[in-house]
Amino acid sequence: MKLLAAIWNDLATRVRAVNEKYREPRIPMTPMVRMSLIGLRVYLFTLVGLMLFKFVMLAR
Amino acid sequence: MDFPSRVYYGYRRALKALGLFFAIAGPGIIVMVADNDAGGITTYTTTGAQTGLHLLWFLILLGPVAYFVQEMTVRLGAVTKRGHAEAIFDSFGAFWGWFSLLDLVVTDWLTMITEFIGMTAALSIFHVPAWVTVLIAWAIMGAMITSGRYWTWEKAALVFCVINLIYVPAAFMIHPTVHEVLYNSLVPHFPPGGLTNDLFFLLMANIGTTIAPWMLFFQQSSVVDKGMQEKDIAFGKLDTAIGALLTVVVAMVLIVVTGKLLYGVQVDDAAAAAVKLMPISRYIGTFVAVGLFDAGLLGAICISLASSWAFGEVFGWAHSLNNNVREAPWFYAYYAFDLLLAGTVVLIPGAPLVLITLFVQVIATTLLPAALVFLILLLNDEKTMGPYKNTLFENAANIGITVLIIVLSTAYGVTTLFPNLLK
Repeated sequence: MKLLAAIWNDLATRVRAVNEKYREPRIPMTPMVRMSLIGLRVYLFTLVGLMLFKFVMLAR
Repeated sequence: MDFPSRVYYGYRRALKALGLFFAIAGPGIIVMVADNDAGGITTYTTTGAQTGLHLLWFLILLGPVAYFVQEMTVRLGAVTKRGHAEAIFDSFGAFWGWFSLLDLVVTDWLTMITEFIGMTAALSIFHVPAWVTVLIAWAIMGAMITSGRYWTWEKAALVFCVINLIYVPAAFMIHPTVHEVLYNSLVPHFPPGGLTNDLFFLLMANIGTTIAPWMLFFQQSSVVDKGMQEKDIAFGKLDTAIGALLTVVVAMVLIVVTGKLLYGVQVDDAAAAAVKLMPISRYIGTFVAVGLFDAGLLGAICISLASSWAFGEVFGWAHSLNNNVREAPWFYAYYAFDLLLAGTVVLIPGAPLVLITLFVQVIATTLLPAALVFLILLLNDEKTMGPYKNTLFENAANIGITVLIIVLSTAYGVTTLFPNLLK
């Protein structure tokens, strides 16, 4: 149990370090980049939702 | 300089260029041939059985699509000397970085399972129990990766790429007419019945198997691990182009084999196709079965490496095939974990393997636009790419491909909710 907790803590520390290291996007946020990322969010929410819906329906 | 001297000079130059190409070639050919993995082979056999040779033209169109997308990873890797996961984290921040990594891990793991399904199904034709096949695959993959040298791994992978061409003699053995192959390859048309829901699903599956997110991660990391420089980009592109040609050739010959011999026959997967081909021709059936095992193995080798490289890049672990196990323990530990998990799932009785196989291609296709958008944005970052950024033509081609995939993915999503839309 102690080993698992140690591994978990180590992983959490590493994830926090990664989040800190890559906190700010380095690519210049031009209108094209901003628009692409917004479009991507909309697309992914819609499509992944549809895929999950289909998967759940088939799995039932 | 007199004529014989010029000829000799030209010959020496060509020989040197060829030697250099063979030194640099590898990542492009391996990723493209591995693209015809167990899932891909299943997709092509069912495409042939359901539509005959009518979709050969579509496969030819997918060749340049794969090339244009993959060659971007060559430039990005050679210029930045960073893998794809690290590039996304660095350029787009932690949110999109984690999204991409999670996307890669999920699709890779599901795809790995389909590779093991393919391998076990292929060798079951020769009465090899599933657990023995899994052990064989683990042993080969373990031996390849623990050599501690990228070069050794790459050459072993290239041997499996050559075995993947086993389908070519099978296609020649059934003597298709030149006219029907040329007509179906060069004249775009749909099979009798037109564009139905089933056909649309088949087209989506073919796109899904031609370009997948893991391929972007794999080739870029492979280019970095190999140590390719900016000066090597031209040969890297040629390597990718040859790979794209090979992937299309393998897909086409498989469609010719099943389209000619099993057209109209219900074929659920590549192993079933091999079984049904055995009474027609034992050699062709055997070729398809051996090719399926090889495809699954090659796919598993590359996919598990793509994830291991990505994790290594993001967490800062040592993550090169030039490191031995002691030097890069987490890199090899993740690789082993990936293999063990995927292989074990296949051995669980009653696991929903068909459902997993069905969805893996489609999920990969759905998530592909995200990977493509990141890639295009990265290749347009002048500060990073300098003279190697996308040209107008490359942007036109890649944005066109991405838009097409987004439209098809969206259309697929809609048709899953309204299945009778295209009937």
